Amino acid sequence: MAVRWVRSALGAVAVLALATFVLGPLLWLAAHAFATSWTFPNLLPDGWTLHWWEEVFADAQLFSSVRLSLAFALTTIVVSSVLCLPAAYAFGRFDFPGRRTLLIGLFATNAFPKTGLFVSLAALFYAFDLMTTFTGVVIVHVLGTVVFMTWIPAAAFAAVPRSLEEAARDAGAGPARVFRSVTLPMALPGILVAVIMSFLASFDEAQGTYLVGAPVFYTMPTEMYSLVLNYPRQVAAVFSILLSIPSVALLLLVRRHIMGGQLAEGFQIR
Amino acid sequence: MAAPPLLLVTVFVAFPIVVAVAYSLGHVGGLNATIASIAREQHTVDAWWQQTFAAYGDVFADERFLRDLGTTVLVTLVTTVAVVLLAWVIALYLRMSDSIPAKVLSALAVVPMFIPVVIASWAILTFYAGDGFVRTIVQAFGGDAPTLGYTVVCITIGMVWTQLPFATLMIVSGVQGVPQPLIEAAADAGASFGRIVRSVIAPMALVPTVIAATFTAIGTLGAFTVPYFTGPNAPTMLGVEMAGYFTSFNLPQQAIVMAVVVFVIAAGFGALYVWANFRQAQDAGRV
Amino acid sequence: MTGRRIAVAAGALALLVGLTACAGNGPGAASSSGNPAQTVRVYLGDDTNIQELWQSTLIPGFEKANPGVTVDLQFDLHATNKTQTIAKLAAAAQQQKDPGIDLVEGITDDAVKAGLLADVGASVPAAAGIDPKVLAAAGLGAIPYRASSVLLAYDTATVPTPPKTLDELLQWIKDHPGRFAYNPPKSGGSGTAFVATVLDKFVPADVRAQMTTGYHKELESNWAQGWATLAGLNPYVFQKGVYPNGNNGTIDLLASGQVSMIPVWSDQFVSGQEKGTIPKTVAAAQIENPSFTGGATSVGVVKSSDRQQLAIKLVNFVLEPAQQQAIAAKIAGYPVIPLDKLPADIQAKFGAARPGELRPTYFTDHGKDLNNLWDQLVPGH
Repeated sequence: MAVRWVRSALGAVAVLALATFVLGPLLWLAAHAFATSWTFPNLLPDGWTLHWWEEVFADAQLFSSVRLSLAFALTTIVVSSVLCLPAAYAFGRFDFPGRRTLLIGLFATNAFPKTGLFVSLAALFYAFDLMTTFTGVVIVHVLGTVVFMTWIPAAAFAAVPRSLEEAARDAGAGPARVFRSVTLPMALPGILVAVIMSFLASFDEAQGTYLVGAPVFYTMPTEMYSLVLNYPRQVAAVFSILLSIPSVALLLLVRRHIMGGQLAEGFQIR
Repeated sequence: MAAPPLLLVTVFVAFPIVVAVAYSLGHVGGLNATIASIAREQHTVDAWWQQTFAAYGDVFADERFLRDLGTTVLVTLVTTVAVVLLAWVIALYLRMSDSIPAKVLSALAVVPMFIPVVIASWAILTFYAGDGFVRTIVQAFGGDAPTLGYTVVCITIGMVWTQLPFATLMIVSGVQGVPQPLIEAAADAGASFGRIVRSVIAPMALVPTVIAATFTAIGTLGAFTVPYFTGPNAPTMLGVEMAGYFTSFNLPQQAIVMAVVVFVIAAGFGALYVWANFRQAQDAGRV
Repeated sequence: MTGRRIAVAAGALALLVGLTACAGNGPGAASSSGNPAQTVRVYLGDDTNIQELWQSTLIPGFEKANPGVTVDLQFDLHATNKTQTIAKLAAAAQQQKDPGIDLVEGITDDAVKAGLLADVGASVPAAAGIDPKVLAAAGLGAIPYRASSVLLAYDTATVPTPPKTLDELLQWIKDHPGRFAYNPPKSGGSGTAFVATVLDKFVPADVRAQMTTGYHKELESNWAQGWATLAGLNPYVFQKGVYPNGNNGTIDLLASGQVSMIPVWSDQFVSGQEKGTIPKTVAAAQIENPSFTGGATSVGVVKSSDRQQLAIKLVNFVLEPAQQQAIAAKIAGYPVIPLDKLPADIQAKFGAARPGELRPTYFTDHGKDLNNLWDQLVPGH
């Protein structure tokens, strides 16, 4: 009896501790968005106001940059899927020479700090006439998602039991039908996880986007970087709340899928 | 079929990496001509078969670089250990008792993944700063908490915060993958909780743990946003230092040397991961 | 089934968003510019008060005076993305592609170094009236158009009598630990001015003059004593040696009451008080012996641009007396043209502070070395 009580008390303490650690900074910042000013060491702001929100909404660029970020993120996952899913299938189902090396190579190229590549990238994009084009920015975003969209779906495809596919074929289904009705639905959860991680990666992409996109395309992170550093704290807090909304909406939508087991499976080299 | 992403990455990432490394060794032709025209204090060679390590010498002789390298590696190791430990605690709790607190814990741990990293860094700084929440609360109880803002501790807290979700997901799914009958059998045989973790769960969840550790380490090594917002001026992490060398000091060759160093360390962590996978594949009889 | 509905909704949203976004949202996007041949694309790497100056005053004035010409403003807050921009300009110049920018402001130092600016001195008659020292310091192709100096901002509530000389300031910092802050030189000019001024205390005048007009690396040994002084201040500045990033980082600290005194740009001070980000209880003053440095900000015409004539027109425009007067009025910027061309009240206001009299900043390469050496020798020592 006492053990049960202690155990639930510990559980509650653990939840409180982690909640403070994870949510605390976000809530503290959010409170600043409504404060006139906040003098230390008061527990509450000196006053409440919506004045900072007016200032922020007066900025026309803000909403267009969020819209643009969404546009790029959605385009990126579509393009990335088209490019990478066939490759993922190949990596997952066929055993060709150099398969593992190539997989690792894809992973390794992401480890080089992007800061060091700026100038070469600029020269390259000019040579291909991709500067300040929608395509150019999409390429930059897709590069950040290649690892997710090859590794995780590859594992998902590999995990589909061949016996089921054979059964379907025995029942008379053609290869396309087998893929559509057996393979794809079973691999879909893993693919979904990859898509979600790619969306988030694209949403957070800042420096490469500025390199290629400015002055035509200004995405949310690019705006956010300079805004946070150059406006009063309260304005930065308002921006933060507004700019988190798309991500949080996504979180609520896909919470269930993320918590499945696909992620760990996805990053094993088989 | 596998060609498109490989081609994309080769052209737009692998090739610039090769070009950048060549620049660090002194080659200023071709794609490097642009940056060579802007740079200061660069060491160049004339023929394509020559190399110069003078830029590397410059960087390694700078005590600031060595200090920042030490800080970067230290923060990386502490973050990785902290994140893996925390994720394991949550994973075990979730596995052992499927209660509401456990589910809430795992949901909380995933939240940071959905917050843009700029916002997260700013939020963490204001939380732990001189006039932040931590100090305010402690002051309300009559104490005086240290200011953690703009310190290496704050960087570590920030990195743990941002890296927690991925590691938690990895390790939770790894631990959930341990078949229940095995655990029950061990419990029936009289093994204590600690013994079960050590002998049954840990070996089976080893690979996801290594994956989580590797990703956390590589992500922390090259981090820029979190240390830039929350960290002190000195010592700082190499990602911030690199950006400064590019932008404020106009020493791109030295900056790329740092990038190469980070890449080599990251490759070291990556090698660990490849080894773990290989071992596991061996054990499973696939190799 | 819910999954299907979500997928369909997402797809529709994607299509809608994608179609409207293809055209881009930035000032360079197709929808916002008129005839391309008659459009000047300006890059502004500066603070928000300068953005307002250009957007509300200079650009509308220019477009009104030149019907049919439009100006696209690409604003990069505090030149955060300066590296990418210079990289782009350099790459475009090498491959002879359209650089996307015709006139740069605020990053002319780096642009001059990279040889990206056109030498337009001959086409800008008003440049002849600018103080030759200031013009020479700007570099080839850069035309100064406004000047500003750094002042000492202090909270009148906690600092009844501000220090008047550099020595008094250094003593004040030691007597009031944790109440002074400045930003790292690499992140903002107000910090650079403070650092340069402390260094200058120990540099002979003739050596200093040389270091403002050219690069003489060996003369940097004169900075040694200055570095020692700055490192000695570490325990007495904000949070025992924390230097917040950017001009606004220190303004934020002053506004929230965490420090009592900071160096600040004169134009940012005026704009900040108007906007309310700097409280009315804060005042600003100059110190002496030596005074804080000031400097001119320049514009430059991009060499590989195909609309140089239009850009030169814009340069001439901002140097006209009417525009210089507006600069003085709007942001308390110092005019760069001779004061006798301006109305009497402006002459009175800025009479004593002519741009040539402002202590100039160091030459570009010395500036970069200053950033680097500060990073090496001060924090953490």
